[in-house]
Amino acid sequence: MSKAAMRSPLGRALGLGSARDGVEDWWRERVSAVALVPLTGWFAVSIVTHAGDGYSAVIAWLRSPVTTTLMTLLLITLFQHTALGLQVVIEDYVHSRIKIPVLVGVRLGCFSFGIAGLVAILRIAFGA
Amino acid sequence: MIVRSSDEVPRTTVLKRFPVPRNLGVAAGSRIGRGRTWPAPRGATRMKRFDVYRYDPDSGENPRIDSYQVDLDDCGPMVLDALIWIKNRIDSTLAFRRSCREGVCGSCAMNIDGTNWLACTRFISDLATPANVYPLANMRIIKDLVPDQKHLFAQHQLIEPWLRSKTPDPARERLQSPEERHRLDGLYECILCFCCTSGCPSHWWNGDRFLGPAVLLQAARWLVDSRDEATGERLDELEDPFRLYRCHTILNCTRTCPKGLNPGKAIADIKKMLVERRS
Amino acid sequence: MANALSGRPKPLSPNIQIYRPQLTSVLSIANRISGVALSAYAVALVIWLLAVAAGPDSYAVAHAFIRSWLGQVLMFGCTFCFFLHFCGGVRHLAWDAGYGFSLRAIYTSGWAVVAVSVALTVLTWAIKFALAGYDR
Repeated sequence: MSKAAMRSPLGRALGLGSARDGVEDWWRERVSAVALVPLTGWFAVSIVTHAGDGYSAVIAWLRSPVTTTLMTLLLITLFQHTALGLQVVIEDYVHSRIKIPVLVGVRLGCFSFGIAGLVAILRIAFGA
Repeated sequence: MIVRSSDEVPRTTVLKRFPVPRNLGVAAGSRIGRGRTWPAPRGATRMKRFDVYRYDPDSGENPRIDSYQVDLDDCGPMVLDALIWIKNRIDSTLAFRRSCREGVCGSCAMNIDGTNWLACTRFISDLATPANVYPLANMRIIKDLVPDQKHLFAQHQLIEPWLRSKTPDPARERLQSPEERHRLDGLYECILCFCCTSGCPSHWWNGDRFLGPAVLLQAARWLVDSRDEATGERLDELEDPFRLYRCHTILNCTRTCPKGLNPGKAIADIKKMLVERRS
Repeated sequence: MANALSGRPKPLSPNIQIYRPQLTSVLSIANRISGVALSAYAVALVIWLLAVAAGPDSYAVAHAFIRSWLGQVLMFGCTFCFFLHFCGGVRHLAWDAGYGFSLRAIYTSGWAVVAVSVALTVLTWAIKFALAGYDR
């Protein structure tokens, strides 16, 4: 029998003890969700009304200050919500040694794509 | 379509089980083989077939499904009556826990036709044909329908389900107003049958660390008790990404509770307490 | 955990293999699947923005892909996933605030999420066709 099998049921249930942490992530996911309700609503409506637009029309729409602001907020909030959500999914299903590398990779990936999106929208807004 | 209370038996069946392979992710020792079909009782007119999960730890074989024909005219109306009838008339090796036969002790909790419930309060007439009787989902099985609950009770012990006080003992009772006592309603009635915990997908995937709805309902019971003085310490112990926050409000627990309790709501209240104490 | 006599570990009773799918569990996993799909679509959004920022040529490539049959199928999937996750998310936020935990409310809100998601998806695509025509 392995060492773990000799541990008492209470010892096994206690594990490494409580992390005394978790409210912050839970709260951030809910706050970003609340923010995403109007932001994605606006985005969905805009996409539908601008369907079929040519390149110059799209650029003109994205260049407007209101659109730039809302798109920036959308990108930040969306990738924050995505990172938190994917973290929960990975923790649920991945239990082997690759869990930590995958968690780090996903978090860094979300951050990178968020920055890339911001660079794109700012480039459109303030570029030539 | 709109279920109003947990004792409503599911009527519309779109899917009887998730479309996954029967032995998906199942360890070799847990794979269920085909079992024997027991002979029908002679002279019976109204019979119903019961497919029951069997496992004999002394045989060295894998679990299997045995089919029994139960004489409904010779047997009481509940699933537990059918199991006792099978044990008395057909196969005395069938093992299951039972005690009160009135839905208050929690011993006969099992998975009947895909949902967890007490065998003594489930009518045979509400079952499909053939009726499927399995042990509580995702439990280590000692024999037949008897699950090993050591880990679940260890998780219960972990939350310290007793009154923790710092004020010296009063001369007589610790006083509590009717309103304060009312806050325990819906929490104290839990019979620890573990139907909810065994039906929670999050507990299936993370049951070693996630406490599950039954234990968290009891945690809420002690958090909300006005006589308890360790609320902060209890919340510190619960605030953990796995112990509490593996709950994603799936709500299978509330759907399946045979006592009509609401573990999902209790867990949401714990999460609200954790937010409230830091703002 | 082992059997004391034989040392053979106790078998695990079946869980997802036999547990009945109910509105509770089905909508929950649908919310998760749509969320994960939307993560992929979020990356696609960033790629689209980069294509717009890079100039009219790269934009035309992206636009051509979206107009292709595969692109339209993916966009339809995106719309449905979005509305499902949106309505499911609102339902979750109500639960987090403490509302809607009676079984009756759970089932009513659950069916409402399904109905509203389907309706909004159909509505969005009807409006899209009306505004932009079929040649998109």
